[in-house]
Amino acid sequence: MDDNFANLELFLNFGLPLLILMVAYFIGDHIEKRHFRDIREREAKLHDFPVVSFDTMPDDWKVGRSDMVTGSIVISLDYFKRVIAGLRGLIGGRIKTYEPLLERARREALLRMTEEARSQGYDAIFNVRLETSRLANARRDGKGVAGVEMLAFGTAVKFASRFANS
Amino acid sequence: MRFVAKQPKEGINVSDTHPLVEAGTLVVGLTAIFALIALVLIFMIELALYFVSTEDEVNLFGDWLPEDLVTVAPDDDRLIETQLLVDRLAQHWPESPYTFRVEIDDSDVANAMALPGGLIIVTQGLLDQVESENELAFVLGHELGHFKNRDHIRALGRGIVLSVFFAVATDGDVAGIGIKATDITLRGFSRRQETQADEFGLAIVNSEYGHVDEAWRLFERWDIDDSSIVGLVTYLSTHPETGERIIDMKRQAETEGWLLTGNVTPLNW
Repeated sequence: MDDNFANLELFLNFGLPLLILMVAYFIGDHIEKRHFRDIREREAKLHDFPVVSFDTMPDDWKVGRSDMVTGSIVISLDYFKRVIAGLRGLIGGRIKTYEPLLERARREALLRMTEEARSQGYDAIFNVRLETSRLANARRDGKGVAGVEMLAFGTAVKFASRFANS
Repeated sequence: MRFVAKQPKEGINVSDTHPLVEAGTLVVGLTAIFALIALVLIFMIELALYFVSTEDEVNLFGDWLPEDLVTVAPDDDRLIETQLLVDRLAQHWPESPYTFRVEIDDSDVANAMALPGGLIIVTQGLLDQVESENELAFVLGHELGHFKNRDHIRALGRGIVLSVFFAVATDGDVAGIGIKATDITLRGFSRRQETQADEFGLAIVNSEYGHVDEAWRLFERWDIDDSSIVGLVTYLSTHPETGERIIDMKRQAETEGWLLTGNVTPLNW
């Protein structure tokens, strides 16, 4: 019977999450677009740097020195993505809102690894691998997901003489 | 082998679907599914109401009290007076199968509830706010109206529907959306029941006092407090807007030719 009380309760239960959802969407969308722009620019700069997944070195690489290089990123879901993914979880199917998130993580990790190799004066990376791990959310007794880590690693090599055989 | 520098292709791993389209599809689709399940459950409740008679209900719930009820001492003045008032009002509904029991809940929020087995719960907050017996009589008559229409069982059924949804949806955020959508749909049904209960309550008040003076004065006081609130609220609320309830009741009194003024009985405490 106390309508005022009911209104406040409704706003807290219904209006506020909706508002947060909208704000999360716009901010998340903005950050994602900016990140993708940044990734594309940096990939363009590094596009002539060989990054390959062969586990043995191609025969024509004559190597002077080598070292392991890594690149890692920890990326978090926004509230909007999580809610939509949760809805998707009820019926199954592709979690489309997570796809760009993980795409960003993969490309960013590879970029960081490649940039690291180039800054140390290496010429190429082979045996590149990607690993991912989930960071548990302490607030929800470790049941929720706070974010994911994407780790890229590989063997960076410095050529003694570049593509000697070709 | 020759290394040829290439840019990776865009969009292989990412769906073209715009996130808002994805969100819209899911929300609309799931709401439809939730609504359908809710309607089926409501239909089943109506079916159960048809098969479970009021006599069975009284047998089942005659001694029942909600576990979380914080009640007052049995010799509390207001409890005794309210129980006496309910007994008097119930005489105007002689065919009632219930033996009505009154309990006072220790809550500051003004409210009254009709629960299975003829249990009427009024809150301390309500008793603090009523200024005459006629005001209280209407609220109690309104609750008797819920028993007459068996809304209290339906309300219980609505609670069951909601808890079923709680159980199905495990993720907090998602459960929230589905349950709220269902809740709002159900509140539509609830408002219609409140109007019917108002009609019954007013008729009882008129039979008891011979007039309907002050029956809705409590609501008039609330209505003044309410006037700052905007229109969406009516749609979301479990009860019709207080202003509309008053208008409906005035219209009913005029149609029935009931007296709008008369001797107002003061409270006994």
